[in-house]
Amino acid sequence: MLLDPGMDLTLRPMRYPRFFERFKDAIKNTWTVEEVDLHSDLADLARLSPAEQHLVSRLVAFFATGDTIVANNLVLNLYQHVNSPEGRLYLSRQLFEEAVHVQFYLNLLDTYVPDERQRFDAFAAVENIPSIARKAEFCFKWIDSVFELRELKTREDRRAFLLNLICFAACIEGLFFYGAFAYVYFLRSRGLLHGLASGTNWVFRDESMHMAFAFDVVETVRREEPDLFDERMRREVIDMLAEAVECEVQFAEDLLGQGVSGMSLADMREYLQHVADRRLAMLGIQPIYESKNPFAFMELQDVQELSNFFERRVSAYQVGVTGTVSFDDDF
Amino acid sequence: MQVRKRNGDTEPVDVNKIVRAVERWVADLDEVDPLRVATRTISGLYDGATTAELDRLSIQTAAELIGEEPQYSRLAARLLASYVDKEVRGQGVASFSQCVRYAHGLGLIGDDVAAFVARNARKLDDAVDPAGDLRFEYFGLRTVADRYLLRHPEIRLVVETPQYWLLRVACGLSRTPAEAIGFYRLMSSLAYLPSSPTLFNSGTRHTQMSSCFLVDSPRDELDSIYERYHQVARLSKFSGGIGISWTRVRGRGALIRGTNGKSNGIVPFLKTLDAGVAAVNQGGRRKGAACVYLEPWHPDIEEFLELRDNTGEESRRTHNLNLANWIPDEFMRRVEADGDWSLVDPSDAPDLPDLWGEDFDEAYRVAEKKAVKTVKARDLYGRMMRTLAQTGNGWITFKDASNRLSNQTGAPGNTIHLSNLCTEILEVNSDAETAVCNLGSINLGAHLTADGIDWDKLRQTVATAVVFLDRVIDLNYYPSAQAAASNPRWRPVGLGLMGLQDAFFALRLPFDSVPARELSTRVQEEILLTALETSAGLAEEHGAHPAYGETRAAGGELHPDLWGVEPTQRDRWAAVRERIAANGLRNSLLVAVAPTATIASIAGCYECIEPQVSNLFKRETMSGEFLQINTYLVRELKARGLWTAPIREQIKRAEGSVQGIADLPGDVRELFRTAWELPQRALIDLAAARAPYVDQSQSLNLFMSAPTIGKLSSMYLHAWKSGLKTTYYLRSRPATRIQQATVAVVAPTDAVACSLENPESCEACQ
Repeated sequence: MLLDPGMDLTLRPMRYPRFFERFKDAIKNTWTVEEVDLHSDLADLARLSPAEQHLVSRLVAFFATGDTIVANNLVLNLYQHVNSPEGRLYLSRQLFEEAVHVQFYLNLLDTYVPDERQRFDAFAAVENIPSIARKAEFCFKWIDSVFELRELKTREDRRAFLLNLICFAACIEGLFFYGAFAYVYFLRSRGLLHGLASGTNWVFRDESMHMAFAFDVVETVRREEPDLFDERMRREVIDMLAEAVECEVQFAEDLLGQGVSGMSLADMREYLQHVADRRLAMLGIQPIYESKNPFAFMELQDVQELSNFFERRVSAYQVGVTGTVSFDDDF
Repeated sequence: MQVRKRNGDTEPVDVNKIVRAVERWVADLDEVDPLRVATRTISGLYDGATTAELDRLSIQTAAELIGEEPQYSRLAARLLASYVDKEVRGQGVASFSQCVRYAHGLGLIGDDVAAFVARNARKLDDAVDPAGDLRFEYFGLRTVADRYLLRHPEIRLVVETPQYWLLRVACGLSRTPAEAIGFYRLMSSLAYLPSSPTLFNSGTRHTQMSSCFLVDSPRDELDSIYERYHQVARLSKFSGGIGISWTRVRGRGALIRGTNGKSNGIVPFLKTLDAGVAAVNQGGRRKGAACVYLEPWHPDIEEFLELRDNTGEESRRTHNLNLANWIPDEFMRRVEADGDWSLVDPSDAPDLPDLWGEDFDEAYRVAEKKAVKTVKARDLYGRMMRTLAQTGNGWITFKDASNRLSNQTGAPGNTIHLSNLCTEILEVNSDAETAVCNLGSINLGAHLTADGIDWDKLRQTVATAVVFLDRVIDLNYYPSAQAAASNPRWRPVGLGLMGLQDAFFALRLPFDSVPARELSTRVQEEILLTALETSAGLAEEHGAHPAYGETRAAGGELHPDLWGVEPTQRDRWAAVRERIAANGLRNSLLVAVAPTATIASIAGCYECIEPQVSNLFKRETMSGEFLQINTYLVRELKARGLWTAPIREQIKRAEGSVQGIADLPGDVRELFRTAWELPQRALIDLAAARAPYVDQSQSLNLFMSAPTIGKLSSMYLHAWKSGLKTTYYLRSRPATRIQQATVAVVAPTDAVACSLENPESCEACQ
């Protein structure tokens, strides 16, 4: 079984080919930080209202450390327990992607925050800014919950592992990051900060894959060990998500506190609850908020993009195309 | 909740007030619910917001409902027009003539146009059509407001309304008020629009109105290379798109006699070009853009094809440049025959860039003896395909067809060395002459009757368009001496087409059907024929263009003759032939199908000759993101009672495809296929069928969701064999996508069932 302790090295016969497919798909999405053009953002930043500037600076401070936390948990808590070489291939790839994200946000901060002192402060946000510190504490609590586990021997061990996995997939990547992306897309829908938005778009594409992989793992474990998914688990997941929503609402109070036209705190709360319901649904759990998505600009993220090349770089191409020259293929 | 008014007072937010503001605009929009816009606007507001913020938010709110009901697009456009109107009137401008006087005082309008408007103020003021703004869709008007309307140099407020803008553009190109008013009405009806540089700059102090510049390769020496950087920067500054060849510059490892060193090849020079292009900002309206052309025998061709890769050494990557291959037939023949291909240094064969056809083949075979490297032609072709698949770039354009089928290559020594930024312009150039083209496009969607094309109207539009395209040549400001040297001699123009897909939808013709192909060919014949008639008329009035004697037309060969096709309108062709034989043509080239990315948005139609990309998609531009929905489909679904929330969700989930909507009959699903669902062979065949009536070329995008080298190599071989001169982007889609945030979650058990469709990778089936 997937969570059995050990170090399976056998790729053939492959037990979890779906993980391998995800690994291959991820490679096709390779992008590099150098492709993102951030300098056009500087003019936009100067045009923003003080309230919007506050929003951006908080957001950037969150991004400064968010992906690093995820990467650490991946190495310290997930990799050792997912006992499938193809699954570990994917996790290795994911680790690379997290590193690219960290690099992207590093680049972003260096560009957006020219003052060195302020830049240091942004990286220290996990300690200094209460709304970000609260989210960090939430993450650390769940990192610590399985940090001492060397092997998943007992049912309790596995339960703890699953909760950590669900926390990072549903709450951190699936809610904290989704919340942050909503701010970015809000700005983009108004034609602001294209550099941030195009990089974030790629980050978001990667994060969607990470979350999907994590849920694949959850579903695999559910098939292999259905009895782990009992009422207690359900309750704990719901409590965890509810706490995550609270953390993120507090963050929103900070970001939107000065009044941002088109993004009210009430709408943001509803959006976060809606996202939380979706995460529960992905885990086969009934929604607890029954909230609707109030942000029409998020619908724009669900449809095909079409860029005018005069305007911005197109992000819809794939890397890793295969095949050989031939003249009678169908097209 | 309180709002702050423009005079500083505060007052409580009043739903009814917003409702009334919306109701002003909805007389003909029966599906719009003003209360819904008002309540949603208020929900996004914060306490203490300004009324200007409230106005902007209501526009945004209306725009966000477009996905449910396309009429909200009109509403959002009208709210925006009224917002712009307030801004302009707030500066004391109440009429067109006042607007021009004000903007002239601010240094934005040229003296001649200011004087012209002052002389004819009454007539011009009366010509402004108050209903003109009602025709815009939101995305179009937003684009106009953000980037086309003139702004106050300091306070950055808009100083002209959309209708004043179009009238100002018309005045900039007119000699009499009647002319100006006629041209204004044509544009205001959105049946025809000139290209963006004309829309940006006509009537202003800097009247650079041409879209395209084709710069010959630098000579194989340092001074020439740096001269080209300078030229490109100037052309780019004034809104031009640049094509530039680099074929004449020696490759890596070639000897430099002056210093007895070895060349580092073309890549470092292109890196400099890349930075130069990125540095130029076209008045904040769009970024500079350039495409570099290289022939595939150049020794650096392999490195050239890697310039847009996103891995590897950054010093050898050019993320801002577009790339195109300028391919001689000999290369394609060797690919087909699986032969070898020699890479030859241009310093060893300096005449190759100027040769085409048999002359090239012969000289190339001689030059091969000095080959610096030999590769398999298929390996290089495969590499080109990979670049296309991974970057969409590295466009495939054919040197021999481009030269053989051109009016400009009638005399020896006149060679087309490259195409332009969008692969629709093919004009001769040289070291001393930079080819120039100014463009405009007809909106075919605005030339329809209940059962077909309104041919009379189409003819009228073409005739007006050609006159005003020709006019640009004399009034244009040329940013480089080489451009000023070329354009008056050849006087080429590029009249294009947009909204072909609109016509097909309206007439219910599937894109890949035989009637669709015939209609598109007939439309194109009508356009070229009428354009030739108009140009012949201009020649009768003003004389033939100076280089007319060097053209094939002077020898009696018109473009369809070069293709060996028999046009349908024989009498008119015979008549125009006689007129041309007597007085020549005012323009060496007339027709080019440009991509129309921006002006199609303004006109609210589908781009150029392209199929729809999706029934539901978003556009991303510098102005933000915009949801675009196929209104023809919405109408069809409404008529069948199928425009429901579940169906909308289904379309969204399928990323704009309707192939999975079982309630739609087969013929409707067939009609509403997307570019990804159409056989690409049909796109190529349609383009090839109209090509005899396009004397320049077409920006032909091809679409493949999941490209493979095999499919691409087959497709581009077919394009070559069909005789196409050029192709444009290869559009493909990302391997995975962002998780959809607003469609319902598929529960875990369903997900397992779904993967049955893909049994090889489905764990559940093993």
